[in-house]
Amino acid sequence: MSRYFFYNVILVSLLNLMLFVPYLLIQYRYKGAIMSMLCAAIVGTALALLFMHVMKTFPGKGLPEILRLFMPKPLTIPILIVCAVMWLTASSITMYAFSVLINRFFNPDTSSLVVLVFMCLVCMYAATRSTLTVIFVLEVGLIVCVPIIVFLLFKAFNSPMLDWDAIRTVSHYWNRGPQVKPFAASLFVFTGYMNFFMFNRLNSPNFRLRFRWGTPIFCSLILLTSFFIPIGFHGTEGAADYLYIWSVTSDTLIMSYGFIERVIFVFLLMYLMLSLIFAMIGWHMGMEMIKSCLPEKKEAIDPARTPRSNWVIVGLFAVLTVAYAYWFNEKENLKITSHWIVLRACVEIVSVLFVFVLSLFGSGKRKKLVSHENTSHNAASPDGA
Amino acid sequence: MLNRIGTLFAESRDLTLDRLQNDSLIIEVAYISTLCDESKVSDFILVPFTKQEHPFEDLVKRNPSFKRLDDPAKWGDTLLHGFVLLQLNGMVYKLDAARIIRNENPQTMVETVIMGPQISLSEDLIDSINIVRSRYPSEELAVEERTVGTISKTRMLLVYDKHRVDATVLGLIRAKLERISDPFYTATGELVRSLGDRYRLFPSMMVTERPDRVCSAIEDGKVIVLLQGSMFAIILPSTFFDFLHAVDDDYDSFWMTRAMITLRYFAVVLTITLPALYVAIMSYNPELFRVQLTFSIAGSRSAVPYPSFVEVFIMLFMIESLIEASVRLPKYIGSTATTVGGLILGQAAQQAGLVSSIMIIVTSVVAISNFVIPVNNMSTAIRFLKYPLIVPAIFFGISGVTFGVFCYLVYLADLRSFGKPYFRIFGRRQSQSSDVGQVGR
Repeated sequence: MSRYFFYNVILVSLLNLMLFVPYLLIQYRYKGAIMSMLCAAIVGTALALLFMHVMKTFPGKGLPEILRLFMPKPLTIPILIVCAVMWLTASSITMYAFSVLINRFFNPDTSSLVVLVFMCLVCMYAATRSTLTVIFVLEVGLIVCVPIIVFLLFKAFNSPMLDWDAIRTVSHYWNRGPQVKPFAASLFVFTGYMNFFMFNRLNSPNFRLRFRWGTPIFCSLILLTSFFIPIGFHGTEGAADYLYIWSVTSDTLIMSYGFIERVIFVFLLMYLMLSLIFAMIGWHMGMEMIKSCLPEKKEAIDPARTPRSNWVIVGLFAVLTVAYAYWFNEKENLKITSHWIVLRACVEIVSVLFVFVLSLFGSGKRKKLVSHENTSHNAASPDGA
Repeated sequence: MLNRIGTLFAESRDLTLDRLQNDSLIIEVAYISTLCDESKVSDFILVPFTKQEHPFEDLVKRNPSFKRLDDPAKWGDTLLHGFVLLQLNGMVYKLDAARIIRNENPQTMVETVIMGPQISLSEDLIDSINIVRSRYPSEELAVEERTVGTISKTRMLLVYDKHRVDATVLGLIRAKLERISDPFYTATGELVRSLGDRYRLFPSMMVTERPDRVCSAIEDGKVIVLLQGSMFAIILPSTFFDFLHAVDDDYDSFWMTRAMITLRYFAVVLTITLPALYVAIMSYNPELFRVQLTFSIAGSRSAVPYPSFVEVFIMLFMIESLIEASVRLPKYIGSTATTVGGLILGQAAQQAGLVSSIMIIVTSVVAISNFVIPVNNMSTAIRFLKYPLIVPAIFFGISGVTFGVFCYLVYLADLRSFGKPYFRIFGRRQSQSSDVGQVGR
């Protein structure tokens, strides 16, 4: 059902704030951020369309199954592990960033490492669930959080303190040539479809994606918002001073009627929920990819019992995350993230193109596959009867 | 036959074993007089046998009420279910003469509605089936009989619409019923425990006494389990959203009932999170609220000498014992308990400086919103959920509450009720072919 596709797109595009995307963009605001965003929008949309073709060619098949059609298992393992690491790092960076945010804004007395350990435990529980459960949680979480976030964004747009002059000033620099880093950062906003590397397993053979034109429009709007609103509130120069630019921006807003006055609390709580969901999905993806490297039986999308391998793999992820937070401080994290986001963009482009090429070859293969399945089915049915 | 039955049973006065003789025949009759309607025994057996207007042998053969029972191993059970055993010419027949003491046409007590059927299911299976069949007059209605309990051998009926029922669900239920092996079943609640996972936090089966709920569930393709001696039926599988849906929602004004459903969800969120939020906001994040509100909360707490979570535990202990007491007490004293308790909770505790007045409001909101949930077993389950949430609130404040709520969400989404997703928004679709997750099945 197409709505699950859009849930992923919406989640990832909203989550860009946690991966320092607005910060990176604002650093390049005079040096080609806008052009990079435009390029990213085009490239991201093109990649998404290519990947939709892949989804149509191989319904009900995740990345491991698609790769397995074309190459022997040992060759697929490195590809899968690289992809798994990409998802793992995305989630871990988000969680680390949020544990620091909690330390800054909610509990200044609690060590961020302790909070991170607790978050890891929660996400360990969530990520080990079945794929079907993960996607249900995504749905519920988004339905609860997104209306409130949209309301806050609406408030931001309507605020009299929003300085449209600053926004106009920055938009005058639209004609500077694009750069790699802001391009990679803004490409992240468009990558929600990538979660269907694994979630494609859930799709039924007659899956049809409707309203696919909505993806680029929504993502571009989110990208523009997360870039321009902070500039509008903090000015062309001031916006570059903050690392957690959106938390500070939301703190400039006030809800004058209600129990809660400062918008930042609502904003952070909603984003905490979204980040947990994002981390859950990321770890789940990584876990499923690593699990498909193991010499094991067929994959189940909704097993009655959680296999022990789930716990082992996700436990390893949690340990890696905590170790990362232990060894690297915030500044190093920022530096690593800005390099990682470029690497991630490369992996995204290469992997999607690769899978797309496979899908072009795949139509013939698929026919063979279908006919093979039919014959085996026919062969099996007399036995059953 | 009589000797055999005599040895089978323990010394019991109500076991009646008779050998009768008329001009041509000798019959043996065995029954447990306390379980049977003796007038039925005399109408069907004793009178025709002695009057001899028709040959008694033909009568037994023609009347379908007499059924052959050839297996001597079943004699004991048959007698215990209120049958009369009759031996004639070396053949044994059984006759149903059971007399069951039950409440006559009871009114609904647990799940009341304003407009809607007021009669509830009966404690006797036959009456219950009567009620269900008369409301669901369809030839598709299937009724399967089984017994559960190795000692109690309680009769149990599976009722479903043959056309609409999900075959996999039905298969799962049958397999589970085969597997359960507890000795005794007297209430549906015990059956619910043996059928489901007893450690789960949310009920996966609905227990109800309302015939209209039962019939609409059958229409939805669900399976109903009725147990002899209990006026509650089990509906399975059920989803979380079924539990928050009162039957009135289909009878009353459309917009108001939608508003009430929304209100129920808010109430559930409040009753689960409010104690934890109180702890978190008092002890960690008082700056969350606007300044005036924070000041008034802090002011009301100024007389309280201990941390907020102690206060929460005191008040929750009080309110839970109050609810428990009003359930357990005889009806005549019950109102006294609530009055006294309400007075203590409302005024004295706050004036004595034991708890803040805000905490009293929190407690009553928690209790009242809990009573909004229409189905009793869900209401009890939700009552528990606020306690685990207080623990992360004590250690991590408001972010801890969010972690806890997230865990609950994942837990709910992970539950399956007989293979059906338990917590899935917009999951009701007629065509399943294009749904997610149909590939691996």
